[in-house]
Amino acid sequence: MIKARLLLFHGSRLLLGGIFLYAGMLKAADPVAFAGQVANYQLLPYAWNYLTAALLPYLEILCGLLLLLNRWVRPATLVLGVLNLVFIAALASLIVRGIDIDCGCFRPDADSHTSPLSALLRDLGIMVLVLTTWFLERRKNREERA
Amino acid sequence: MNDRCAPGGSAWRRLLLEAVVICAVAMAVGLSMNYRMVMNAFTGKSVAPEPLRTTTVEVAAFPDPVELEEVRELLAAGALLVDARHGDEYRQAHLPGAVSLPLGELESLLEAFRKEVAADRVLITYCTGFGCPDSFDLGVLLLQAGYQQVRVFEGGFPEWRDAGLPVQGEGL
Repeated sequence: MIKARLLLFHGSRLLLGGIFLYAGMLKAADPVAFAGQVANYQLLPYAWNYLTAALLPYLEILCGLLLLLNRWVRPATLVLGVLNLVFIAALASLIVRGIDIDCGCFRPDADSHTSPLSALLRDLGIMVLVLTTWFLERRKNREERA
Repeated sequence: MNDRCAPGGSAWRRLLLEAVVICAVAMAVGLSMNYRMVMNAFTGKSVAPEPLRTTTVEVAAFPDPVELEEVRELLAAGALLVDARHGDEYRQAHLPGAVSLPLGELESLLEAFRKEVAADRVLITYCTGFGCPDSFDLGVLLLQAGYQQVRVFEGGFPEWRDAGLPVQGEGL
């Protein structure tokens, strides 16, 4: 694998891992407030917002850690890719339903307001990182085996 | 050709298995870290871990938390719901029969409220749920204002609505 491509792989792996580790830790620190933000999407029944808030941050943290540690990169990237698709679908449903709330992407109690549209665009950017990590990892593995 | 090189089914199976393991570990950790919160949410108990004592004043009494089932019983017995959220949220949708008493406007509205509502009436405050402190703070202030029986419905508007119970308002 040529050096530039290897650099790109590690760069996108570290960035992706860092983003999700950071986002997960912020949310894990305040699950009740995060549950409120999940509830703002008006997609889940009451108690399921709490279940989501209990689990989702740890999934982000674990995948982020695996990527940062360069272990289990493919499955972690796959999980984050699927997660990101779910986020994109949820944000799109907000736009369709005309609900303007903070996306709850990072700090649950932040005063800053990230609108559904800008959060969706950001998630498309993250999707590029997911795909870059995924395909470069595959290529790297193939070349290492050859 | 060993298993690692196989481009087909077995590599995908292994990948999916690893992804499932990641999800299972994350769920186990998340559940053990938040076990009580999740159990309380699914059994209809109040979720706020500690009473939300955010007021700076020294107070002698705190309002007791009350759960959804008990809210309905108290309402049947004549209790009054008090909505601590902003006025525009109240206008959009509120619990049936609730009166609006936004925490931020309490000072200006309290006199009129006292004229309307007797001091021995059972009051149930609520706000947007999920740890929002306004209903608790309002409860404390109503106790200080002389109301004797003040309770806080911590699940608030979202728990009521998501239980399929009726709501009132202009935004429906």
